[in-house]
Amino acid sequence: MKRNDKLIDGIRRQSTEIENQLIDELAAGLIGRREFLRHGSVLGMSLPLLTTLGGAFGLTAVAARPAMAAMGGTIKVATTVPAAAIDPVTIADGGGLLMLQQVGEFLCISGSDLRLRPALAQSWKPNQDGSVWTFSLRKGVKFNNGKSMTADDVVATIERLADPKNASNALSAFAGVLSKGNTKKVDDYTVSFQLDAPNGNFPYYVSSDNYNAIILPADYAGDFEKTFVGTGAFKLEKYTPKVGASFVRNDDYWGPKASPDRTEFVFYADMEPQVLALQGHQVDIINQLPVIQGIALLNDPSINILSIKSSAHTQVHMRNDMAPFTDKRVRRAVALCLDRKKLIKGLFRGHSDLGNDSPFAPVFPSTDKSVGQRDRDIAQAKQLLADAGFPNGFTVKLTSEKYLEIPEYCQVIQQAVRDAGITIDLNIESQDAYYGKAQFGQSDWLDSVLAATDYGHRGVPNVVLAAPLKSDGPWNAARFKNKEYDGLVGQYIAALDLQSQRAAAGQIQRLLLDESPIIFSYFYDFLTATTKKVAGAQATAMGQLFLNRATNL
Amino acid sequence: MTDRVAEAPAAVDASSLATARRERLRLLLRSGTFLAGAVIVVFWAVCAAFGTHIAPQDPYADDLLNTLDPPSADHWFGTDQLGRDVFSRVIVGAHDILTVAPLATILGTVLGAALGLLTGYFRGYVDDAVSRMIDAVNALPLVIIALLALVALGTSNVTVIVVIGFVFAPIIARTVRSAVLSERELDYVAAARLRGEGPLYIMFVEILPNVLPPILVESTVRLGYAIFTVATLSFIGFGIQPPSPDWGLAISESYGLIDGGYWWTVLFDAFAIASLVVGVNMLADGIQAVFET
Amino acid sequence: MNFARILAKRLALSLVTLWLLSVFVFAGGQLLPGDVGRAVLGPLADARAVANLNHMLGVDRPLLVQYGDWIGHFLVGNMGMSYIFRSPVAGFVTTALFNSFKLGLVAFVLVVPLGIVGGVFAALHVGRPIDRIISVVGLSATVLPEFVSGIVLIMIFGVWLDWLPITASWPEGAGPLTQVYYLFLPSLPLILVLFGYIARMARAGTVEALDADYTRTAVLKGLPRRTVIWRHVLRNALLPTITVIATQVGYLIGGLVVVEVLFHYQGIGGLIYTAARGKDFPMLEAGVLTVGIIYTVATLAADLLYSLLNPRIRFGGVE
Repeated sequence: MKRNDKLIDGIRRQSTEIENQLIDELAAGLIGRREFLRHGSVLGMSLPLLTTLGGAFGLTAVAARPAMAAMGGTIKVATTVPAAAIDPVTIADGGGLLMLQQVGEFLCISGSDLRLRPALAQSWKPNQDGSVWTFSLRKGVKFNNGKSMTADDVVATIERLADPKNASNALSAFAGVLSKGNTKKVDDYTVSFQLDAPNGNFPYYVSSDNYNAIILPADYAGDFEKTFVGTGAFKLEKYTPKVGASFVRNDDYWGPKASPDRTEFVFYADMEPQVLALQGHQVDIINQLPVIQGIALLNDPSINILSIKSSAHTQVHMRNDMAPFTDKRVRRAVALCLDRKKLIKGLFRGHSDLGNDSPFAPVFPSTDKSVGQRDRDIAQAKQLLADAGFPNGFTVKLTSEKYLEIPEYCQVIQQAVRDAGITIDLNIESQDAYYGKAQFGQSDWLDSVLAATDYGHRGVPNVVLAAPLKSDGPWNAARFKNKEYDGLVGQYIAALDLQSQRAAAGQIQRLLLDESPIIFSYFYDFLTATTKKVAGAQATAMGQLFLNRATNL
Repeated sequence: MTDRVAEAPAAVDASSLATARRERLRLLLRSGTFLAGAVIVVFWAVCAAFGTHIAPQDPYADDLLNTLDPPSADHWFGTDQLGRDVFSRVIVGAHDILTVAPLATILGTVLGAALGLLTGYFRGYVDDAVSRMIDAVNALPLVIIALLALVALGTSNVTVIVVIGFVFAPIIARTVRSAVLSERELDYVAAARLRGEGPLYIMFVEILPNVLPPILVESTVRLGYAIFTVATLSFIGFGIQPPSPDWGLAISESYGLIDGGYWWTVLFDAFAIASLVVGVNMLADGIQAVFET
Repeated sequence: MNFARILAKRLALSLVTLWLLSVFVFAGGQLLPGDVGRAVLGPLADARAVANLNHMLGVDRPLLVQYGDWIGHFLVGNMGMSYIFRSPVAGFVTTALFNSFKLGLVAFVLVVPLGIVGGVFAALHVGRPIDRIISVVGLSATVLPEFVSGIVLIMIFGVWLDWLPITASWPEGAGPLTQVYYLFLPSLPLILVLFGYIARMARAGTVEALDADYTRTAVLKGLPRRTVIWRHVLRNALLPTITVIATQVGYLIGGLVVVEVLFHYQGIGGLIYTAARGKDFPMLEAGVLTVGIIYTVATLAADLLYSLLNPRIRFGGVE
């Protein structure tokens, strides 16, 4: 199909400078269609606009919308029991955030492809340097208690989360990005966010990625577990702590009515009963299936496995300020001992991306893919160790937590470094013992000379670039203090266009390969399992499950 | 359980004591249960001591491309989820449990014997107070006490030994106490008192040798329970820690795989535990039978 | 008689024991790593948020105050609010207790007849091979850790033969028969543990009774053997068995942590375990004290039963 220059020019004239830059990149072939769509959505460009542009550039059309799903039926989901009371302000676990998302909605949604879709906000735009973002809200949205949603509700919700007095889990996401008092109502359907510093990825911070940020009425009084107030396609039928919850279709929903009449969630403390329940068709979906516990299902022909690329990973940090890791050659040597491809095959049955010792997972569009992938090289590892003064290796303790695949990963590391002469003693603790009080000096996680920590998925690498690696980062267990790195991260966060983001990313990736304060050897997929009858269920790597278009008929 | 009342030899005649001992040994060696138990226990003890030399493959060497392989000529018991040889791991897995459990039993026996001697000899308020506290601790299932203690103190082999030892001490103390209660009324004790011997001397030099038989019987029974408890604690994650090939730990890491059909990752470890526990029990039974005649 | 006095004394002692227990658990709980706020909000939450939550839950008050507050409420039946779930603890404890009770009941109903029949049968054939087999098998089974026998049973009956479900989570709204079906496999390890004790007691009692004068008299009088066994022997043999059973009731309700974990069953053992890990004091204390109370009551009942029956019938070697 030919390029439609007239159409393109018309759109360009109406677009902001940043949007034009993105179009430039597409025109020059610097980015592909997928990344264009992704980044365009971050900038708040609407899907129809992006599709039109894509079409005008002669790219294949976006896949046709799926036909309207049949209505009716009950979908049953098995999920981990929420760890605490269902409170949007404090929820910090997978079971809890799933409950929030069933009735609550966000300003925008970070989908399974990390693309942002409008939800309660119809569009959003940054200012010139990305320090102020303005969101236009959807009109005609009602909470399930009858009240209409306006800017007051959005302002109240975000302010509540950013207020240090409220003990919110979202506080750590907003730190350094958005402070209390800077979310302002412009008019009844427009909200502006005045950021602490320019941030090119800000919309993700008020998307489903920030799972506490469901929009609540301004007069919300803290009794979520009783009311489950929200704007979503489902409303609460019944909630029994530790047992389960059920929801029914919300007939006053602003969007297309949900397909299922009802959804039911059954809570389980462990994976094994969930696996059995799915095999026995007592449930239709298992929300989250870690590979190591779901092996039985991976080969089961009657089960569908939905695999979403995610940025979830495990960081193995080395204390840059403690022997033997003060010399970066020693750190590189350890990283070179791991056979990452085998690791992925053995631990995840291949359901994982390779990690290259930086937070830049292959799934992020801003990742610089031209940086060479580190691989196992024992000869070089031994050489580096000898150069650094450890010709016969050394002994060190690896501390970690009993969680998912981490104990197995640690044992693999222990074996892998033997070939370079390094002896590792393992100390695997329960999670609470490992995290301790989560403060420097009071936590095995933050204080150990060598430790492995789980990191959940995030839609953008901002938090993982800053908190564990910046000189003043609150999770900087590695005590990595590198001014050049801090500067580059600042550049990345402030960059508004994909090109600059990628340039900064490339530099960061290369710097981290050289310094190797933390080993990132994999980014594992998020798996959801369903029976073959289920269609239309949409999971996110964050652990949310959209059942609006799900059917099991 | 039967009340055991130790008999005090009226006259401590050196040669008759030796004869009695030899007679007991002969009875032991003729007891079918004792021998069967001994064979099993000795087998596992050898594995525990020399496991790394006996095992055909390195129990820690992973093989990530061949995880969860069923039993075959290369791997008699198959491979686990990291590709390690299960047969070698089962053999080497005897080591930790046969270190921790006996040490815990010894600790418990020493403490319990001391406690029993003290409370049995002195009686009075000390006895009452200690008994109340022992009751309080016994009002909970053993596993829950151990679990609480281990969560508080952190799990390591040393803490497991200490916790189990301390929990066993009161139980052993009870038995020792009742034995001491009957001993202290006997003539030789009165004679020692008349001689002017202090209480410590009387307890540990006079009485102790005569209550050794019930102590011995009780501690062999306790050994069985210690093995039981260590395995259970490893299973619920509060005992022996990775990467030990300990049987209870291996089972806790793999039992979720059973419904995927990966039975070899648990069955062999289960049989190992079962055989050891039954073996120790038979040993204890044999000893008990002989010392109660 | 002095029965009332004995009862009162035992009761008083038991109360002291329980009070000591509550103090032990509270003190031990203080040593647990981490703190409630951190446990609820997770390791990555802001320190200010954690401090806030701790203050809201009142866990930064002096220990004595916290303990006094809690014990005061407990004594009037208010078990407090779970720190983590912000709902009344009593609800969780009651449900868990009920679940443990159901499992214990299934095991109890199956093992008691089995044990008695086994023991009596062995006694009737004393000295013969079948006697030895029953004794050895019974005793070996008692020392098997429950998770070992449980796993082997799961593999045989759950996976290979596929006769029984391998987790005790029946579908919502299942009737009693379905629940028993799901609880059968989890009850088997418990049955194995208890069979040996009960059979041995029944056997000892039967052997004793068979030898007794009144039995010989009855036989000499010409009564058929079966009648003799039914009327005299069994009645006397059952009594020591009953006391043994009573002492195991505590185990059947409170000692099931391992079986609950293995079969993913939400009983009181599992509740205590989760509460300990999450530093949920009210839940932990309530759960532990509940188990302690059950144990103490069961022991008390067993002791009283024993002393009631003891003067009338003489047993050999029963504790």
